[in-house]
Amino acid sequence: MKKYFPLIALALLSILPLIGLSTYMMHIVILVVMWSIIGMAWNLLGGYCGQVSFGHAAYFGVGAYTAGILYSKLGASPWWGVLLSIVVVTIFSFILGYVVLRLRGPFFALATLASGEVMRVTAENWVGFTGGTLGIMVHERTWVEKIWYYYIILLIAAVTYFLVKKLVESKLGYYFVAIREDQDAAESLGINTTLYKTIALCISGVLTGIAGAFYMNYMGYIDPHVVFALHDISIITIMIVMVGGVATYWGPFVGAVIMVFLAEWVRSIPGLGAAHQTLFGVLLIVIIIFLPNGIVGDYKKLKRLVGLGRTS
Amino acid sequence: MTAVQIEVFLQTLIAGLLLGGLYALIGLGMTLIMGVMKIINLAHGELMMVAMYIAYWMFVLFHIDPYLSVFIATPLLFFLGVAIQKFLINPVLKVESILPENQVILTVGIGMVLASLATMFFKSDYRSTPVSYATDAFYLSDYWKSSPIELSVSVPWSISFVIAVLITAALWFFLAKTDTGKSIRATAQDLDAALLMGVNVKLMRVATFGIGAGLVGAAGCLFIPIYYLFPALGGQFTLIAFVITILGGLGSTVGAIIGGLILGVFESMTATYIGMGWAPVGRFVIFVACLIFLPGGVASLLRKKRFGK
Amino acid sequence: MRRLTLAVVLSFVLSLFATALYAADTLDLSIPLPLTGGQAKFGEMEKRSYEIAAEEINAKGGIKGKKVVLTFEDSQGKPEISRAIAEKLIDVKKQPVLVGEYSSSCSKAIAAVANERKTPYLVVTGADDSITQQHYKYVFRLNPSNAYYATGLISFLKEVVKPKSIAILYESSDFGTSGAEDMAKQAEKMGMKVLVKEKYEKGAVDFKPILSKVKAARPDVIYMVSYVMDASLFMKQIKELRIDAKLFAGGAAGFAIPEFIDNAKDAAEYVVTATLWSPQVKYPGAKEFAEKYKKKYADYPSYHGAEAYSALYILKDVLTRAKSMNPEDIRAAMKATNMVTAFGPIKFEDKEGYQNQNFMDTLVLQVMKGEHETIWPKQYASKKYIYPIPTWRERR
Repeated sequence: MKKYFPLIALALLSILPLIGLSTYMMHIVILVVMWSIIGMAWNLLGGYCGQVSFGHAAYFGVGAYTAGILYSKLGASPWWGVLLSIVVVTIFSFILGYVVLRLRGPFFALATLASGEVMRVTAENWVGFTGGTLGIMVHERTWVEKIWYYYIILLIAAVTYFLVKKLVESKLGYYFVAIREDQDAAESLGINTTLYKTIALCISGVLTGIAGAFYMNYMGYIDPHVVFALHDISIITIMIVMVGGVATYWGPFVGAVIMVFLAEWVRSIPGLGAAHQTLFGVLLIVIIIFLPNGIVGDYKKLKRLVGLGRTS
Repeated sequence: MTAVQIEVFLQTLIAGLLLGGLYALIGLGMTLIMGVMKIINLAHGELMMVAMYIAYWMFVLFHIDPYLSVFIATPLLFFLGVAIQKFLINPVLKVESILPENQVILTVGIGMVLASLATMFFKSDYRSTPVSYATDAFYLSDYWKSSPIELSVSVPWSISFVIAVLITAALWFFLAKTDTGKSIRATAQDLDAALLMGVNVKLMRVATFGIGAGLVGAAGCLFIPIYYLFPALGGQFTLIAFVITILGGLGSTVGAIIGGLILGVFESMTATYIGMGWAPVGRFVIFVACLIFLPGGVASLLRKKRFGK
Repeated sequence: MRRLTLAVVLSFVLSLFATALYAADTLDLSIPLPLTGGQAKFGEMEKRSYEIAAEEINAKGGIKGKKVVLTFEDSQGKPEISRAIAEKLIDVKKQPVLVGEYSSSCSKAIAAVANERKTPYLVVTGADDSITQQHYKYVFRLNPSNAYYATGLISFLKEVVKPKSIAILYESSDFGTSGAEDMAKQAEKMGMKVLVKEKYEKGAVDFKPILSKVKAARPDVIYMVSYVMDASLFMKQIKELRIDAKLFAGGAAGFAIPEFIDNAKDAAEYVVTATLWSPQVKYPGAKEFAEKYKKKYADYPSYHGAEAYSALYILKDVLTRAKSMNPEDIRAAMKATNMVTAFGPIKFEDKEGYQNQNFMDTLVLQVMKGEHETIWPKQYASKKYIYPIPTWRERR
């Protein structure tokens, strides 16, 4: 049963549009799926390999700009950007990884944070290539209907899920976890830590970049403040994984549901005004304090907590 | 070099040094917190914002000069910091989790709550304390009549700078000479050894977070006469604090001061000679360069010199 | 546990559909605005202005006898949330017309959705030129596009100041960039030399390095495009450095809000700024609106407030004229708009590469004795301009 759970979930998700959701709900669902891809990608690097990146906006933005520049400079459909971004982001991740992967712990975190910001300011200033702060706008999006976008992003998500699962359950996955638990020990056992960290970073970056290219197609407009955002992209990504469950398969999905779906719901509570952010912030604090490994990671604990609540 | 070029250069240098002094104070709180507790505190800028609101309301309601508010905001922020550490961060540090970085997300949540509370209570209006001396400055030509070049040094910037230096000196004295200060430094250097030597590590951590918050609170009071205030202002100062912390070396007071000055001068020079739009890139480039080539920051250079190594 | 889950799910579903269940004798309008985050200040100002307009309209019998009920949705200045709101309003609430948003990037997100879903959308403050250059049939813009913000100021420069050189400093946002690009083009057309053209990251603390560079270049005019309080920092630091230009000019936004004078104090004197509107314009209702706003919130509104206030009056006019409440008829009525609001005359035209764009005269304000006064064009002037302006030394 448990073995088939992912397939059942996928089947359920793929018939979701057939029950007649409003375009508003479809938009939210698409965002949830997109964010869970980014979450899964981050999880591979952060959750399994232990390299906590604060700069996933860099990959997201490079992916989005690959599609955008393809459209604005060559007049090609930005959908080709989804494919091209695989190449571009791989090269980009490799170069970036060469620089930042020498660092450890908080230093790595801060260096990645800086890399995201550097990319943002570069995109702002390189006006001839990126269009600067005016951004890139697609004149007409491919479809009005959301269903195609949904199936495309769902397909990417499914591929991401199985790829991450395969990787983690392979020999590579064990190396990743070994690096996370004790890098020095892993090295002394003969694991080429730099190599495996680079692999994790590249795959993680590429998956995030694909999501970025999709974002360009879906939203039809990008500018540096939107796609290279520190808070709205990089940190939200980490929150999705941390809230959902670090180093779990389903954590990013659960996290995305909370960070997008629940956030939208809290935002929509009538009469709350600016207070919705306070409420949501408090919710995050509570989750981190009581479920430090996230909802999926601490599922048993969560069950116990709720169970206690019922008997008393 | 013509006189004009020299004037531009010197004026840029002055601006950079003054800015750097203030940056240093923001970085000091961060460097302590990161050094002692290895915590990345993403709510640092929001704490500064809270202090600025305190200074603002003191100015509006009781006509207290923002510089005097240092004595009000710093203790208040100290207690706020202690409370955050004790009731929110400590419980998270205590439990076993796969990634210790979840405390970072906790500080993000804290920052979010602080910023949105400020929006709720004080609205999102831009505020400032228009002190009477806001645009006063010392001019070189007032003192040296036949000077070929004109330089100016702003009065509020200079006061802020001097106070920042005084606070830094006081902190250095506290860390170097008092028992509590020594215990904090011991905790930063080697947690286990400090424990064995009978240092109350738990207390030191709480105190450190409090002091770090107090310092950034003081920085807020020094910033408000020359800057302005709104609820979402925190983020950019958090980033600056990071850069300085890394430049200076974790937990090093002297390092943070030098790091702040380097950053201030570097940013000003970039703005004048390359373009102000690139100044943030410059900031992060030295940041990353320092991470790679000088991982211990300025502090490691100082140490090498001292031990003749 | 199960009951709890059920309750949560139920309340969630209800909250989504509750809005659709209002009685029919009210007209519900939801307006997306940034109410938290860095742009919240302007969102807040617009929200207040919409509310004042709704109050007035309701006191006079509402729109077609229906009471206007406004709700506001916080977009946080993020395009994907703006889009979510737009989708919700169109699809769930079945609102036949959209209005609002503050920044260009959020307005673009809504405009694309509105046009795809064939629902008219009135852009209120998003200024990026490209919004009304996309051949969108359903997108109308009340404010002039960015390229026109400074037309008044340029004619003032041409006729009064006649400068030979200019320095342009601008914020690295879409608003700042397009404002600066346009000014640079116009300046060259007028035979001015652009000596310095520099951008800065918003939130910068210290402008003195760049200002000393400007000082060394000795431009006749210093033109600054700043969103918010950077404007007052600029003037304070210019005063400190005693940079004497023939004219200090601002490109709307930060220079045109009352906080500019409150904060820069005497450094703000004689500064001129382009603006779209001022409380002194002689359009009907302009002064009353400004006074009402000031009485309630202690400060005058900037042009953003007037735009929001007038937007609701335009909607009233459009919905009264529309044959029915379906989007097609509303679009037709919107296209035929020809009215005068507190913000100025409104007419949506297709010309100069724009579609459904409102064109209007833009004004020049000058700070005199701590107040914004309208000085240009002459027919709108509340006071005569002061030019040449005294140097910093003479002001002591």
